Amino acid sequence: MQRRIRRRYAAERRFRVLGAGAVILSAAFLGFLLFTMVAQGWRGFTTTELALPIDLHAAGFHVERARLNTPAADLALASAGLEDAVENAATSAFGPDGATLIAPSAWTVLRAAVKRDPAILERRTVVRVPASTAFDRALAGEGTPAMKATVARLQRAGMVVRGFNWTFLSESDSTDPVAVGIWGALKGSLLTMAITFLIAFPVGVLSAIYLEEYAPKNRWTDLIEVSINNLAAVPSIIFGLLGLAVFLGTWEIGGRVFGPMLPRSAPLVGGVTLALMIMPVIVIASRNAIKGVPPSIRDAALGIGASPIQVVFHHVLPLAMPGILTGTIIGMARALGETAPLLLIGMRAFIVTPPDGVTDPATVLPVQIFLWSDEVSRGFVEKTSAAILVLLAVLLAMNGLAIYLRNKFETRW
Amino acid sequence: MNGFALCFVILGLGLIGWLTARARALRFDRGGRKRLHSLPAQHGWYAAAWTVLPPLLFLAVWSAISPGMVRQTILRNPAAAQLSDFAFERDSVLAQARAVAENPYAGDVDPLARRLAPLVGATRSRYAWIGTLVAALLAFAAGAYAITRIRPDFRARSQVERTLMMTLLVASLIAILTTLGIFVSLFWESLRFFGHVPITDFLFGTHWSPQVIDAKDPGASLGAVPLFWGTFFIGAVIAMLVAIPFGLMSAVYLTQYASPTTRRWMKPTLEMLAGVPTVVYGYFAALTVAPAMRQFAVLLGDPYASSESALAAGLVMGVMIIPFVSSMADDSLAAVPTAMRDGSLAMGATTSETISKVLVPAALPGVVAGVLLAVSRAIGETMIVVMAASGAATITLNPLESATTVTKQIVDLLTGEAEFDSPKTLAAFALGLTLFVITLLLNIVALRVVKKYREAYE
Repeated sequence: MQRRIRRRYAAERRFRVLGAGAVILSAAFLGFLLFTMVAQGWRGFTTTELALPIDLHAAGFHVERARLNTPAADLALASAGLEDAVENAATSAFGPDGATLIAPSAWTVLRAAVKRDPAILERRTVVRVPASTAFDRALAGEGTPAMKATVARLQRAGMVVRGFNWTFLSESDSTDPVAVGIWGALKGSLLTMAITFLIAFPVGVLSAIYLEEYAPKNRWTDLIEVSINNLAAVPSIIFGLLGLAVFLGTWEIGGRVFGPMLPRSAPLVGGVTLALMIMPVIVIASRNAIKGVPPSIRDAALGIGASPIQVVFHHVLPLAMPGILTGTIIGMARALGETAPLLLIGMRAFIVTPPDGVTDPATVLPVQIFLWSDEVSRGFVEKTSAAILVLLAVLLAMNGLAIYLRNKFETRW
Repeated sequence: MNGFALCFVILGLGLIGWLTARARALRFDRGGRKRLHSLPAQHGWYAAAWTVLPPLLFLAVWSAISPGMVRQTILRNPAAAQLSDFAFERDSVLAQARAVAENPYAGDVDPLARRLAPLVGATRSRYAWIGTLVAALLAFAAGAYAITRIRPDFRARSQVERTLMMTLLVASLIAILTTLGIFVSLFWESLRFFGHVPITDFLFGTHWSPQVIDAKDPGASLGAVPLFWGTFFIGAVIAMLVAIPFGLMSAVYLTQYASPTTRRWMKPTLEMLAGVPTVVYGYFAALTVAPAMRQFAVLLGDPYASSESALAAGLVMGVMIIPFVSSMADDSLAAVPTAMRDGSLAMGATTSETISKVLVPAALPGVVAGVLLAVSRAIGETMIVVMAASGAATITLNPLESATTVTKQIVDLLTGEAEFDSPKTLAAFALGLTLFVITLLLNIVALRVVKKYREAYE
């Protein structure tokens, strides 16, 4: 009997340890994931720059001053041979392999500097240009011994400057990992989210109000409820197929072709597609919030003569708002992290200039992460992880806001 | 003028209409001969709705039909006679001409497009002005009509409330429209696909290689069985082998054993796993887990192991699903009446015996429903498999070999360069329809199970 009890208690302890192990392992996985991203990504926020002395006048570089203030300035500087001039300067400053030490995009830094201050054309000056990926890797301890020796030499000469990578936050996609930034993708995400919010929030809240407060119990209402519940469980990629077929497809009706409804690759079509995807989330959360408002409030308002519309819009809706907003933020966070449907509707283009409006070609942050993860160059690994860190930080802030709203405004009736 | 500015102008006119109508109603109110039927603000809303809604409706219709009209006008112009007869080429030139009209510095365009640019730009701006003018006229006319109707006995409230009610109804119909849109578009494109490829070849064929499609017999290389197997193997077997034990055990531990403090901290932590975007999981699976799995396979004695194994994608997917299973299990454990638990403990059973012999069996329908929903989640999951699974369609039982899934193939088929009508592109819609139907069935079954279970205890 004693032995049997001991055995049962041992089983009890084993079970408990198993449970704790499951929780700890799951949490450990999360920790490991975050740790990997931080370990790989922190270098993406730093930049290695080389102090490049350059004298464009002595190098025989000429460009008409008058053209520098026209929109064709970039073209003028490029055709005057600025790129070669920068590479020559690098060779004379850093040694025979100097041109391989600076990033291929280094001359664009000088181009911007010349456009800002044309006086640079006349005198000797020192410009900080980004170092190449190979140089950056060697600085991190990976690379050929020759490159490491060069790094050490230039470090002793005080020509290597490390700092916070503002380019990463202010630039857009590029073929050179040193010059890439997330601003273009971030702006695309913001525009897409604006469209998503403008559609999903009003439609979601209004249909929740209708279903919860006014809908008669009949077949139609049942059909609406069933379709909302099903939509909430439809895989996100199906919404991408929907967007592709309905918003970007063409129909032939009576011999005339009706073109795509919305422009391809644009935040507009992405926003509409994501809005359809998160609308059920908002409807379900809003219905729960509206259900939570006690009937006595409605009865009191009706009792003093308010119309059914006034009861809802003046009394029930303000009280349900915190719950509705929490649900909306969670839905928006889901839309912000979504990738698959956007791949299908063409938001995976190589976007060098940030979009100016909702109809310009754009990409979003998660898709940018996906595109960078496909790149072979070693330098993109840290940029990808850094972009992931930015995305996670934004999502964490949104979810934090949702929790704060819930705790601050939640009313117990 | 762009569309957004126009919408703002119309909203501004609506505001003016609101203020004017309210002022007018207030004047009647002060006149005092007769009491107003509705509040002044309700008269305001009445006028605002009349001012804003007709022009917005018109603009929605106009933006749908005007591109076609612009096209017709351009094609009728003699300058457009040089355009190619092939629709695809013609559209490309017109799109380039449009780009040049918007930005004269755009480089790398067809010379014909550059010549047509002024014509395209002028036609587009002419139609845009027509639209703007008509919208503005509509706004003024409808607003003026509404304001003239304001009388003390005018029932503005009933009108406004009826409009609002219609808006609510229309908003709730969008859910049905979306479902219908999904079903019709998937079904329509699939029908076109099955016009090229017999449905039996697609559903029962065991060879999938869309890169090389024989024009005479496209069905021979579009057999989807390997994809169904890969989806089932990764999503319903490997991922569930991770998610079910971990999710269930975490739910049991957090509800039955953990102290309130632990529960308060660990539950949100686990839920964070569900908040991580799938692209991040995909990146992690491809960069960290997949190489580790390859090394593991090499250790086991397979030097040519795939670095895109089913195991890597399945494991990470399983971790992603843990919080989902855990919260479903949590809910159904909490729904078991306390009396059953107390009874079992009072009879001398240990906590673990109570859980495994009383609580879990009682909560089983809910847990099963949760698992079904989790499977439907896993097989619809895209980014992890796109980034970590392979594109090679094989039927294998070895988790260290590569396998592909339906979602991965949809993305691969649609992101390549292919025209819209080829069997290759249409196959993606047929796969989408299959996926949609299967997830729908899983959800319906899960909801049925939950419903039955709920009735048992109430």
